[in-house]
Amino acid sequence: MPVPFEALIPLGLITGFFGVSGFFFQKLKTSINEGQPPRYGLDRWDRVMLDRDYRLTGTQRGQTHQTAAPSAFATSSAWNLEKEHL
Amino acid sequence: MSTFREASHITTGKFVDPTPAPAEAAHPEVGATSAPLKSAAFFIGSYCKDYNEDFMLCKDENNDPAHCLKEGRKVTRCAMDLITKLRENCEKEWEAHYKCLEKHNQEYYACRKPERTFNECVFSKLKLEKVIPGASNTPIHLRENTIYN
Repeated sequence: MPVPFEALIPLGLITGFFGVSGFFFQKLKTSINEGQPPRYGLDRWDRVMLDRDYRLTGTQRGQTHQTAAPSAFATSSAWNLEKEHL
Repeated sequence: MSTFREASHITTGKFVDPTPAPAEAAHPEVGATSAPLKSAAFFIGSYCKDYNEDFMLCKDENNDPAHCLKEGRKVTRCAMDLITKLRENCEKEWEAHYKCLEKHNQEYYACRKPERTFNECVFSKLKLEKVIPGASNTPIHLRENTIYN
């Protein structure tokens, strides 16, 4: 019996759709995170450190190993913008 | 408030800080971000042990932020000192290790090879060793055959 090639067409289509969407999803995640995989399993410590990184470098996942923080770092905290909740 | 949320960066309109400027000038802060600090964490721990312990004991007495400012400044200065030394001596290895950490969710297990070169560089130039307190057998960073290397 010859190979039922018509059955392979929907298989190829489904594989193709999975592959294309997965490829674009991966590209999207990588472009948001500046070429790196996204961070996962973040607790409060990690979120606070990520916020500090953003204040120091200006980008979400940028890293720098400078010794002293720029002078704008002292006043760039968002806590001053928060209203008092009494 | 029963729940806690982080501060929001979203503002409406221009913000002018109404509080007066503090009496003393702002002190220098550590400029390294999270990945370099995590990479150098054990070396900061051993290099700045005295100042860190001083600060923690001071905080133990009184958790008020205004209480331990002097000890906090000493901790900051010690960390900045070590960062300067690392930049002078082992910058490339440090960069390789923390860039690897950034690619792997800042997990140590995934970056043992760059960590080994970095630790060797720091040990040869700065005489600092990474010690995991309370490790029973061979410490994990010294084991030869691990799953992830």
